[in-house]
Amino acid sequence: MTASPASTAFKTDETYTPEGNYNFKNSPEGVRRLPFPFPDDDYMYSMNLEPHVPAGDGALKAAFDVDEHYVSECAHRAQMLRDMPGVHYLALPHMMEAQWDLLELIFESYARDFPEHFTLTKDGNEWRWQNRLLNIDDSFTFGDPSTLPMDPMKYATRQAQGEFVVLEEKDNTLVIGAGMTTQRADYSLKFNVGMSFFEFHGPVPKLHDMGILDRALKFLLRMKPGHPVRRVNWSLTVNPRLETSVETLHEWAPDRTTVTSENAGEKVYLRIELQPLHRLPRSNAIVFPVRTYLVSLSELVQYAPNWAKRIHRALASLDPELVDYKGFHRYHAAAVEWLSHHDDGAPLATGYPWASGGIQPTGE
Amino acid sequence: MLITGIKSRPVYDELTPMASGLNHIAAAQGSGGKPLVRLLTAMTPEQLASTTVLYSTESFTGHNFLSELQQFAVRELRVFPGNADAVGGLDTVLAAAEMGTRLYLAGSEGFIGTSMQVATSYGMHRDEVLREHAGSFVRRVWCAHCGHYSENVAHRVFVCPGCELNLIVRDHYSGRLAAFQGVKADSEVPGELPANEELDT
Repeated sequence: MTASPASTAFKTDETYTPEGNYNFKNSPEGVRRLPFPFPDDDYMYSMNLEPHVPAGDGALKAAFDVDEHYVSECAHRAQMLRDMPGVHYLALPHMMEAQWDLLELIFESYARDFPEHFTLTKDGNEWRWQNRLLNIDDSFTFGDPSTLPMDPMKYATRQAQGEFVVLEEKDNTLVIGAGMTTQRADYSLKFNVGMSFFEFHGPVPKLHDMGILDRALKFLLRMKPGHPVRRVNWSLTVNPRLETSVETLHEWAPDRTTVTSENAGEKVYLRIELQPLHRLPRSNAIVFPVRTYLVSLSELVQYAPNWAKRIHRALASLDPELVDYKGFHRYHAAAVEWLSHHDDGAPLATGYPWASGGIQPTGE
Repeated sequence: MLITGIKSRPVYDELTPMASGLNHIAAAQGSGGKPLVRLLTAMTPEQLASTTVLYSTESFTGHNFLSELQQFAVRELRVFPGNADAVGGLDTVLAAAEMGTRLYLAGSEGFIGTSMQVATSYGMHRDEVLREHAGSFVRRVWCAHCGHYSENVAHRVFVCPGCELNLIVRDHYSGRLAAFQGVKADSEVPGELPANEELDT
């Protein structure tokens, strides 16, 4: 059993930085397997949590998805950690048990879902980890940090796509205890570590008044090991830039002024966040992964025309408060204008693409 | 990016004697002396006798409550010329504190926040601490770009002494850093600065 199509060709030389000239693109299959986050023509927040069970043949087939960008994304993570030490990875001292929990979850999931790329061999606590995509073959003692070259969470997440935030349960809330966040959207890990669920959601408008946060927290606190849940979220990013942290805001925010209704198709990327949350068995922490996918508006038009029409409608009708919060008020109109030339107004299916009857990338 | 209306700012308490305490530590700075006087007035003689008071006379608004504080028959009154000294003094006192200790903090947000960092490092639980804000709402601000901490920031937009970028202060507070977040104010178009304003004063 493997969750990746036999044809997946891993790209090894992609970049997500201006220095690397943003050498990044998706294959047609890579686009059509995305967890497209717009089930309706109108978009508003919702808790949209569902059981994280395998669905369809795309990004939701595996517990933690691996796609054609895996090798390049891991290289980008290594580069970000090297360039800005102490900014993208942090773990409070008491999080060690959760770190091992997370290592186990990622490695077991990868080995189960992609056996052609990953193998985990256990002899009691003596573990051997083989990652053929990155040419890694290491043996270590589970639970003994001295047998790894770095923190277990750092070791595991350097070999994983997406970011990982670990939340500890304390005083009936969830508090950020650790994170590997080289691709975070507009926040600071260093600033947010130690914050509670309501505090780190502070900058998100409307949520508090809508009662969504209360319900979400109650739901998450009831989570049990072995029963993960997922949700999707999205934003827009100019250029295929993964690292858009608050710390480097002044480096990437000027890009927002470069978008016009002529170049929006190439410049503007839909940033899809797949968030499969798991309760960790020993530490009782919850891991909040944010698996980020970038796809340009023109790639959507080319390879997934139905999704291009859908995002046109969702963006055109988007609440101005969300436009501001998501940081694209400066180029929102240009993106909508560019997309309007690729929307014939035909009715579209309702529901996520992985749901029965949901919106498919192509076809009627 | 939201600047105002962010709901991460601490919610403060009103200082009243915690009956469950066997040992009390009360630390204040500047205008925080006023709620401290009120707290000590509400204490029984037994509670006063088991209370250590730490007071910093550094004040942004110029208020000094030292002479009032000296009227109480507390176990000990320690006076400090600066807020950082008082926070250091709190560290020393907490290092020797025993079970059943209750902590009371009053003063600026920066003073309360940095004192809370010390209390947290000793594993003090949130329900063993009362915090009352007093005086000006000047803020302690962490620069997201260079990591510099600026004390007593009174305006929405200011120049970071660490990296000299124009920062805008977000209403976003980190208890671990005991600071608000400052980010480049003209990040999209250099020179295009938002209107400045006084912070909550």
